[in-house]
Amino acid sequence: MDFAINWHSCFFLLFAAIACGFAVGVVVSSNIVRMACCLVVSLSAVAGLFFLAGAEFLGAAQLMVYVGGTLVLLVFGVMLTARGPFVSMKTGGGQWVLALIIGIALFVVLLQAATSSTAWDGPSGNGQTTVVSHSESSLKSNDGSDAAGQIGLGLLGVRSDKLEQEDRVLREGMSGYLLAFEIISVHLVVVLIGAAFLARARRRIRNPESPGPRIPESSHPRIPELS
Amino acid sequence: MQAERVQPDTVEFDVRTDEMLINMGPQHPSTHGVLRVVLRTDGEVVSSVVPHIGYLHRSAEKIAEKLTVRQYLPFTDRLDYLSGMNMNLGWALTVEKLLGHRVSGKTRHLRVIIAELNRIASHLVAAGCMGLDLGSFTPYMWTFREREKILNLFEEICGARLTFSYLLPGGVKEGPPEGWLGRCEAFLDQFEPVIDDLHALLTNNAVFIKRSASVGTLPPETAINYGCTGPVLRASGVDWDIRRDGEPIYTEMYDGYTWRVIAPVGGRYPDDHPYPPIPREAAVGDSWHRFFVRMLEVVQSMGLIRQAIEKYAAAEGELDKPIEIRKKLPAAGAYLETEAPKGQMGFMIIGDGSAIPWRARIRSSSFCHVSVLPELCRGVLIADMPTIIASMDIVLGEIDR
Amino acid sequence: MAELLIKHLSSPEWLAYTIAALVHCGLLLAIALCSAAVGEWLERKVSARIQDRLGIVRVGGRFGWLQPVADGIKLLCKEDIVPKAADRPLFKIAPYINFCAVYCAYLALPFADGWVALDLNAGAFFLLAVLGLEIFGVVLGGYSSGSKWSLYGAMREAAQVVSYEIPLGLCVVLIVVVSGTMNLVEIGNQQAGWFFNWYLFHDPFTFVAFFVYVACAVASTNRAPFDLPEAESELVAGFMTEYSGFRWVFYFMSEYAAIFVVSGLGALLFLGGWNGPIPIAWLLGLTADNHEFLGWLGNLLGMCNFIVKAFLGMTFMVWLRWTLPRLRVDQVITTCLKYCVPIVSAMLVGAMLWSFFLPGGVIAALTKPDSFPCSAWERTVPTLCVGGERDSGAARKEARMQSLPAVRSHAEHGNEGYFQEENR
Repeated sequence: MDFAINWHSCFFLLFAAIACGFAVGVVVSSNIVRMACCLVVSLSAVAGLFFLAGAEFLGAAQLMVYVGGTLVLLVFGVMLTARGPFVSMKTGGGQWVLALIIGIALFVVLLQAATSSTAWDGPSGNGQTTVVSHSESSLKSNDGSDAAGQIGLGLLGVRSDKLEQEDRVLREGMSGYLLAFEIISVHLVVVLIGAAFLARARRRIRNPESPGPRIPESSHPRIPELS
Repeated sequence: MQAERVQPDTVEFDVRTDEMLINMGPQHPSTHGVLRVVLRTDGEVVSSVVPHIGYLHRSAEKIAEKLTVRQYLPFTDRLDYLSGMNMNLGWALTVEKLLGHRVSGKTRHLRVIIAELNRIASHLVAAGCMGLDLGSFTPYMWTFREREKILNLFEEICGARLTFSYLLPGGVKEGPPEGWLGRCEAFLDQFEPVIDDLHALLTNNAVFIKRSASVGTLPPETAINYGCTGPVLRASGVDWDIRRDGEPIYTEMYDGYTWRVIAPVGGRYPDDHPYPPIPREAAVGDSWHRFFVRMLEVVQSMGLIRQAIEKYAAAEGELDKPIEIRKKLPAAGAYLETEAPKGQMGFMIIGDGSAIPWRARIRSSSFCHVSVLPELCRGVLIADMPTIIASMDIVLGEIDR
Repeated sequence: MAELLIKHLSSPEWLAYTIAALVHCGLLLAIALCSAAVGEWLERKVSARIQDRLGIVRVGGRFGWLQPVADGIKLLCKEDIVPKAADRPLFKIAPYINFCAVYCAYLALPFADGWVALDLNAGAFFLLAVLGLEIFGVVLGGYSSGSKWSLYGAMREAAQVVSYEIPLGLCVVLIVVVSGTMNLVEIGNQQAGWFFNWYLFHDPFTFVAFFVYVACAVASTNRAPFDLPEAESELVAGFMTEYSGFRWVFYFMSEYAAIFVVSGLGALLFLGGWNGPIPIAWLLGLTADNHEFLGWLGNLLGMCNFIVKAFLGMTFMVWLRWTLPRLRVDQVITTCLKYCVPIVSAMLVGAMLWSFFLPGGVIAALTKPDSFPCSAWERTVPTLCVGGERDSGAARKEARMQSLPAVRSHAEHGNEGYFQEENR
């Protein structure tokens, strides 16, 4: 039987279609909340693409950080500011043109970068119908690559995947990502503190003449005069 | 009553968690009856509370102007329907005060048994429902299981489980059947360990204490000013119980009995029983103390019932027959307050020489407790509202009449 | 399993993998749904017994075994109501998002040694990430119901789940630090043996962290005493108010399936996973070394063990729900931020220090005291202690060291190690 389904390609196409389709949905939709939901699905599909590429750590990180964290925040903000159901955002014609220009320019740049990488021409050489057997062995941590450990060590300044690099020239500049890691961590702390500061509950002085529902300040029932 | 000009239908959803009007009830799992409470909240914090009553108004006082005092008895059952016997007792004693009728000792002892049994039953509902409002369903089941046993006893003695019409003016409808007193005592014997279970599950429970301690603290002066009575008043530290301090026609029912008035005078409770310790966070007058006072009163009631059973068995004579059906009332008035489980229940009857009263007035304790809610609930969180209402133990039957 | 199919049935490779994947998914779906059904039965029976009544006694014999089936059929036949003010597509899709998130968690949860649908290198991380996605179903359900009270309840529930993700994640990170790997199968294997190998007894810090984990697991699945958003008296049923029938079934199923997952995760991380207190399978010789089928049998015992532990956790949560009153929402958040997070952070620091200086755990510290002189130093700078102490008696320590590739490559390279180059 020569018929074989290349599941890897199938899933890749599926995830890519979902990612692109729902990204288009974000742009096209006029309801803020639906935009946020399309974004959720699109980023989840990107996480799926990461999983397909064998980068489980990155996929899980994508799910946790983007989908779980950022989008929860986005959805909260969207829903709390939606005054009434189905707030719609209409973009004017000029904005569409500008967006199209920027989008097409970015697309051209990305296309050029993608096609210039020679390793990405054509399918992988060993003719496997599924990449499962290969990735299964790489998924087992005991033998094969321990991607999470390597990423961790890389962030701490030890590029353990390049230990076999003999060339002195190439070895320099391989000190890992410790500085970037620390800078980003401090940056996140600053952002957290700033957000907490901005969101602090401000004690408002009660204005007795402020309009609002007309309930008297004191709720003592006033007994009417007895006849 | 002064029109408050509240527009509770215009509930605004202000995105900056500004003030919001929340309507609790009248159909509500946690208001004890058809009570409607309109809250004005600033985020989670309640800034003002307006209770709306009248959903259960049945013109009880007007109906009393059409019926004889004996015909009116079933209507008193429906006032505080959780403690019908105490309502009957209040009405019966008021009629007896008006007529100058004095019942024999044996009848008084039986009335003590019945009234205190109903006090236990009513406090069980209060305790269970407070647990229920706070989210623990189990004590509710256990208290109702015990209440079933009391209601079975009442069913044996008068045929009804909720609306008894048993304590008639002048006496009781019928004496207790054979072995009833023994069954009462058996119930009390098996009930003591259940109280310890309830203490473990509610009174000493850390979550319960967190939810109820220092929540809705009622200062004693405010309690007296608003006319609060019963466990609500006593939990604020005021040593006042009308079974001891009331009119002689009522207090002679409790003459010769050994019992303590449960009130944290000076922060300390009477120590005639190994009661659970008071948590640090609880302030005198808060919801926890109101709950605790009821639990301790149950123990006192148990002692009273045991003594009453002995006294009843030892008393000579027979039970009094009730007054005649169309007994003419003198052209005078009488007002008497009795200690119902929820507080002091007052009945006033003004006769005009015929068998039908000219005016009857019912003073209910829950009415004053509801009226103190706005004072208590300023500045609490929304989730504290069910706690406070449950600790007040109101029943709308007697508020709306 | 795919290899099995290829070998025995000589099916083409793509078909074998397809069937294997479908079988895995089907089995996991069955487990997820059964856990929901058993969870519901447990809830009703345990709550009834706690409340001194009988509970379900009619459907399916004296103990009401088939009641969940009856409930499911009833709910399927209910009228499909969508409120008029609701956002229809979002309203319809919200329960399924919830269930998908929980099902993804099942994909990464190992039931026995090697018996996991996705043996992920970063399994613990993935599980945490996916459990956090449940919030979407909640928030979407609350928003799309078109009712202010549903939205209010949904926001509060989401706030609670998000807050409790932090201490939950820190508890998991603590175990990852102690075990050295994020791979859940690996973590389970490291606890093989007698019950004192469990990470619960590894050091006092993991012991305390277990109880914090229990509290956070209960809170993150919105169970009592943390179920205020669901059962708050003026919110009726929170975000689920407008849902009825089949859609409600999905919310319900995903709640109970999530309870199974967090219980199973707790059992895996702290209570040995599929390893029983007594290594019966090993004692009976049911290991893969003897024969493949015997190994499979041993694994089956392990899976039963794991499921029993998860259900014990579920029973504990049911017990807790019917015993304790509800905490107020500010008390819930206070518990998280003022108690759980500081405690588990302190435990994390303690566990890290313990792993650094006394890597074998309490039992190894007690039984092999001579293996600790320069333990931590050797592992990072092997050239300082020639030969290192890698051949200490504690097999687990060795296994853990083997799993760190940097250490391995250092040891192999000896004096040509990376640090040596830098120090020159």
